[in-house]
Amino acid sequence: MTIELVLFFLLAVVAIGAAVGMLLSKNAVHSALFLVLNFATVAFFFLFLGAPFIAMVQVTVYAGAIMVLFLFVIMLLGAEQLRQPSTVLPWQPPLTVFLAVVFVGAAWLYFANAGPGSLAAPPPFATAEAAGAFGSPQAVGQTLFQTYVLPFEITSFLLLIGMIGAVVLTRDDKKR
Amino acid sequence: MTIEPFAPVHLLAVLPEILLVVLAGVLITADLALPAARKRELGLYAAVGFGLVLGVTLLVTLPTVSGGLIFGGMLRHDLIAFAFRVLFLFAGVVTALIAVDSPTIGKEGEFFLVLTAAVLGMNLMAAAADLIMLYVAIEMTSIGLYALAGFLRENDKSAESGLKYFLFGAFTSSLMLYGFSLLYGFTGQTNLYNLAAALTGLPLEASLLALLLVLVGFGFKVSMVPFHFWAPDVYEGAPTPVTAFLSVASKAAGFAVLIRFLLAAFPGIESIWTTLIAVIAALTMTIGNVIALTQKNIKRLLAYSSIAQAGYMLMGLAALSANGVSAILYYLGMYTLTNLVAFGVIVLVGRVTGSDEIADYAGLSRRSPGLALALLVAFLSLGGIPPLAGFFGKFYLFTSVMQSGLVWLAIVGLVNAIISLYYYLIVLKVVYLGTPKDEAAVYPVPRPYQLALWACALGVIFVGAVIGPWVNIAAAAAGGLF
Amino acid sequence: MIPTSYYLALSAVLFAIGVTGVLTRRNAIIVFMSVELMLNSANLTFVAFARQFMDLSGQVFVFFVMVVAAAEVAVGLALIVAIFRSKQSISLDELNQLKG
Repeated sequence: MTIELVLFFLLAVVAIGAAVGMLLSKNAVHSALFLVLNFATVAFFFLFLGAPFIAMVQVTVYAGAIMVLFLFVIMLLGAEQLRQPSTVLPWQPPLTVFLAVVFVGAAWLYFANAGPGSLAAPPPFATAEAAGAFGSPQAVGQTLFQTYVLPFEITSFLLLIGMIGAVVLTRDDKKR
Repeated sequence: MTIEPFAPVHLLAVLPEILLVVLAGVLITADLALPAARKRELGLYAAVGFGLVLGVTLLVTLPTVSGGLIFGGMLRHDLIAFAFRVLFLFAGVVTALIAVDSPTIGKEGEFFLVLTAAVLGMNLMAAAADLIMLYVAIEMTSIGLYALAGFLRENDKSAESGLKYFLFGAFTSSLMLYGFSLLYGFTGQTNLYNLAAALTGLPLEASLLALLLVLVGFGFKVSMVPFHFWAPDVYEGAPTPVTAFLSVASKAAGFAVLIRFLLAAFPGIESIWTTLIAVIAALTMTIGNVIALTQKNIKRLLAYSSIAQAGYMLMGLAALSANGVSAILYYLGMYTLTNLVAFGVIVLVGRVTGSDEIADYAGLSRRSPGLALALLVAFLSLGGIPPLAGFFGKFYLFTSVMQSGLVWLAIVGLVNAIISLYYYLIVLKVVYLGTPKDEAAVYPVPRPYQLALWACALGVIFVGAVIGPWVNIAAAAAGGLF
Repeated sequence: MIPTSYYLALSAVLFAIGVTGVLTRRNAIIVFMSVELMLNSANLTFVAFARQFMDLSGQVFVFFVMVVAAAEVAVGLALIVAIFRSKQSISLDELNQLKG
């Protein structure tokens, strides 16, 4: 068992634990914080997978901006304590969990054994330089601005629409 | 398929999209500059803007050669993308026109801005040839539509419909994204046209799993069973011009993506997905039509009717032939015109009576013969009565299905068409033979409205009577995919 | 080296947890957080495969997914705030104005 494998399993347990914690927590703020923990562990996995730029974007945008927005809204609405009794039919949660476990089991069996291509260890890098260059901001930037420039320009408009949509939907009409 | 290196002429191919961004800028500026008294002109600007972009599209961007991946393989510049673009822009024009005098949304510049963004997203959806472009375009459209559905934030129903649409949509699109990730993972490609070659060597379960996940996302957009649950609630709660736009353009965009994706990326497992789509089509038609029989609210009735119409169109996809796709295109054109007329009438009647219940349409023929006539044309076309366009649309779909050997599906479709006639005729009976509750009610039809309704209603009659050119266009576009 | 299939199994687990969250929780914000978890698991799959194929398209896709998620969160939370203002509650069980 190499140090990598140990670290992987440790972080995987933390990630899954945080996800389950988010699911089961009665307090919405705790759920949000568990999710932040999950995102942080996933950022670590991105680092292992040679994606340093994406890992930083994950921490900045996902854990840093999106989850903060969630926490703002949770505090704004005072929704920490979930008051209402649930009308979920009693057999629904166990059934969903069972189906989820079946799905995961099938996926694991598939990927580990019969998966397409060779899903054994990914090919190692030729040199240390190549390892540093893969997933670096320069490399990602080059791919982004050469092949994928059109979606990039469109996302700028998308962000504008997201912003305008959010402003319009929460605008207080009495002041107009 | 080779990716063409960038040439300035490619910019002409996306000229409509560039102009739509310019239109968005114009609308924002006008919204800031116009005094409150003149705000209603914003809708007219939007409608004229869409009309201009439509004109430019027709004149300038007609693709001379079918196919051709441009912008690094992001878009495919072919006839089918062109045909869908025309459809979306036309739907945008009509939606803007019927929203102009709306007391709640007609004066809000942001409404027309988000509408422009949604049309832009749909244009890109129809032309997208790469998973990344497809995802960004789908999300752009969807986010715009979530905001539009929930636009009347003070109105309980609208806010609720926006939230339901959003949660359902976000869930299905993340399922679709997981499917995209598996497709990328199994093949190492993000371009749709390279996926097929890479998928052929792989075990069947791989393609099937990815197909099922992806179908969830696309199925949501076209409201096929079992992903149709959002449609009645959202159609009922959203502001009616938004419902009109949703029912027409969003569905067409979903079909554009579905057709292109299934034909391009999954040719290897054709036999499986055609059977699957055929079964889903049968279920969708039947469930849509049967539940429509019990509806008392006209917007919900049209929602279930739209679900059933999606079922008919899915038949064309199951036929797996150029004729089938051509039939879908013709049917979508007919359906766009027809539904816009129907919803146009509903917006007006809703504005005057304040209600969307069918019972309140009683005797409409006496209070406003023009509106009743428009509704008559629309519903007869939806029901499939000759010589209106709906008849030939269904006929074309049924023949293409039978040509592909799926006779059982054509029979199910025929039975469904007969069932649907019942509820369409019931509404018409109420409209023409019912006694109006309020004889003195006046239904003023503003100018932009008249233009929109006349254009669409005449279109329905014309497209149904003179079918030659439309079928040729549809067939040419479909041919580009095979 | 860690086999790619381990990462895929992990992302499948996270995805399943997200789906469970969407289908069983009644609080709109928690449901939305579960959707974010699902998106994240898809991101992990993309990056794992990008490493497998030594192809940066997967990482670029993740970049776009994050941007889209940000815009979606803005609009989605705005809708939730709008609902809360009118109903003082964000439980999905209380969304019953639209009935069939």
